[in-house]
Amino acid sequence: MRRRTFLASAAAPFLSPAQTGPKRVAIIATVYRYLSHAQHFGDRFLVGYPWGGAWQRPNLKVVSLYVDQKPEGDQSEERAREFGFQVYPTIAEALCCGGSKLAVDAVLIIAEHGKYPVNEKGQILYPRYEFFKQCVDVFEKDGRAVPVYNDKHLSYSFAKAKWMVGASKRLNFPVLAGSSLPVTWRLPDLELPLGCEIEDALMVGVGGSDPMDFHALEAMQCMLERRKGGETGVKAVQLIEGDAVWKAGEEGRWSKELLVSALSRSDSPLGLTLADGRTQDLVGSGEIYKLVKNPAAYFIEYNDGLKATLLMLNGAVRDFNFAARVKGAPGPQATQFLLTPEPNVTYSACLVHKIVEMFETRRAPYPVERTLLVSGILESCLTSRVQNHQRLETPHLKVDYSPPRQSQLPRT
Amino acid sequence: MKIAAVVTVVHKYSHAQHFIDRFLEGYGWNGVHHKPPMDLVALYVDQTPPGDLSRDRAARFPTLKIYPTIAEALTLGGSSLAVDGVLLIGEHGDYKYNEKHQHLYPRYEMFQQIVKVFQTSGRSVPVFNDKHLSWNWEWAKEMYDTSRKMGFAFMAGSSLPVTWRTPSLEMPLGARVSEALCAGYGGVDSYDFHALETIQCMVERRRGGETGVKWVEAYRGDRFWEALRNGVWPKDLMEAALCRSHTLTPARKGFNHIFPTFDDMRRIMRDPVAYRYEHNDGLKCTMLLMNGLVQDFNFAARIAGQPRIFSTQMYLPMPPARTTLANFFSPLVNNIEKMFLTGKPTYPVERTLLTTGLTAAGVESLFQNQTRYETPHLAVKYQAPKESTYWRT
Repeated sequence: MRRRTFLASAAAPFLSPAQTGPKRVAIIATVYRYLSHAQHFGDRFLVGYPWGGAWQRPNLKVVSLYVDQKPEGDQSEERAREFGFQVYPTIAEALCCGGSKLAVDAVLIIAEHGKYPVNEKGQILYPRYEFFKQCVDVFEKDGRAVPVYNDKHLSYSFAKAKWMVGASKRLNFPVLAGSSLPVTWRLPDLELPLGCEIEDALMVGVGGSDPMDFHALEAMQCMLERRKGGETGVKAVQLIEGDAVWKAGEEGRWSKELLVSALSRSDSPLGLTLADGRTQDLVGSGEIYKLVKNPAAYFIEYNDGLKATLLMLNGAVRDFNFAARVKGAPGPQATQFLLTPEPNVTYSACLVHKIVEMFETRRAPYPVERTLLVSGILESCLTSRVQNHQRLETPHLKVDYSPPRQSQLPRT
Repeated sequence: MKIAAVVTVVHKYSHAQHFIDRFLEGYGWNGVHHKPPMDLVALYVDQTPPGDLSRDRAARFPTLKIYPTIAEALTLGGSSLAVDGVLLIGEHGDYKYNEKHQHLYPRYEMFQQIVKVFQTSGRSVPVFNDKHLSWNWEWAKEMYDTSRKMGFAFMAGSSLPVTWRTPSLEMPLGARVSEALCAGYGGVDSYDFHALETIQCMVERRRGGETGVKWVEAYRGDRFWEALRNGVWPKDLMEAALCRSHTLTPARKGFNHIFPTFDDMRRIMRDPVAYRYEHNDGLKCTMLLMNGLVQDFNFAARIAGQPRIFSTQMYLPMPPARTTLANFFSPLVNNIEKMFLTGKPTYPVERTLLTTGLTAAGVESLFQNQTRYETPHLAVKYQAPKESTYWRT
């Protein structure tokens, strides 16, 4: 008898029926309507999702839902009726399924989309911390805590995000958070070798702030965290905009070679390609300077000396591409983070598979500190933007962590 | 090194535009903007309808000249062959259809004119033929035989075998494959060819190599639905392939990604087509055009000794809905460059000879009321290259 089989059969008699049945999941969402994040994620727990060439139906059951807003097109009641769970008026009730004690084995917090105020830095004040805190309150009251997935950044505020991660350590429950970009397919399937020496790195992103710059920053971070010495945090950031971005490129503050390299992975150059289908070297031809009306550069200085840049280049391309110079590599290492089309957005199935892994094993497949650091980088960059684009020291971003040893890419 | 292109039509997103622009403008490759180390100097364009881009390209690239005949393009207006490689891109353009709904692209006719120059010059150079060799099997076979007789490097086919895969998986060389399937989309005598190349570039790596195909049977209309219900092709392989799709039409309103039931498929798919065929060594394959249900090409196979079904998607960044560049042409152009530089094809043209014959056989079976079409002429034998040639870097 193999060891694993032995352990399973030996343990079986001690398991209560509640533990052998499906794990019970609560969904805490801002809104649940077609193509909102909550619908993308939540539905995969209801109808399954593809992974590894098979339609997965994990042994999980959604038992409760809390939705903060019910706009036109709300699907919460419809889903509850069809899939046999209840929509509760508060988060605590959702976690306790109407009773007095925690009655679920895992919590999915999807606080993206919905109508929330925007602050002076342009951050949408999604109540992720507030939702998370209410979950923690139930955990504390009950003396028991269960795994939590928090979609996207932990909070618009690093202080709040830090509290969230601290609570998970204090109460000893696993948390997974962040974007799909780190776990989607890459073109090519590039994973930087663990312990490599990264000399320079550049990410190209598109879309608005602060939803899409977060995705781009996290995509870059999941590459950089694999460098020699692991992650040691960020000492300063600066966000500049407009012509200053091009000037910084001329001065060598970011690498044009890496920009060419990142764009060489793009499938969506705009301008002349839209006009007649031609391939383009947007940098070599200078077209990029015409196409991008308001570029932004996010400069990130790490504690170990690495400097990395995110360029948000709306008007140049429509996809997310990364390039780095790695010591010993023959040329720039570059890849595209593939965002597959709506409505399937199959990349979210890659992320859901990681969430399911955590719900089933109580172990996060990759550290939440990645998302904590990126939440803080983004907040400080946006602060820099409203403070005359100044360079800001970030001693609070001394976030240390080690990357997962195993690649999290969808490779099977 | 000088290259000539012989093409049907150059307009935005025509195949010729994708190829020509990659030679003229360069393209993203290995993390740089790569310029092919050769000059596209001559172009023959068969049709120049409104929207023609050939004249714009020639005006912007003075090294490129348009010639009125294929012979002049290959001789650069002189009397003998003056280029080192030829691109034959006979896709798109206004050409007739025959009664079997085959699109009568003049690939064979263009090829004949190319080899005529080779013959009169007493010298031949590598040729790449885009897509299937011809809609007509006899002509395709003649093209292949001519290339062998005259001894020039000849490559052909689709970009599906060389594009990205999600996930990035290769069929293990020497695998014992018993069943293979592609869930794709598109029309007969067009995208069926891409789906067949998708299957063939994988199954050619099986134990014993390629042995050819003995029969092909097509399914359409009621017969398709009956075959689907009765499991004429393996349901588990079809499901695995659909689980690799990025474009599965949601079976229910309000859901973004939900697996379809048989009734859902019946409602969603429009005019689906299947080609079921058996190789001489017993391997059975199924090519599915699942129009309305998916818009990508997904492969699945059963391999002896592997508990799980092997599956992946041959990923096409497809404009205009999802991208602006059809970058699956980049690995194809890169393989062509290698052939032009070395005089050796990077993968065997026999693959495309066989898929050309399979496409024609599928069309023939459809035309003959979906009866089984015996294909003793498709005893095409070859060995797959050991080295993978799909896009991974």
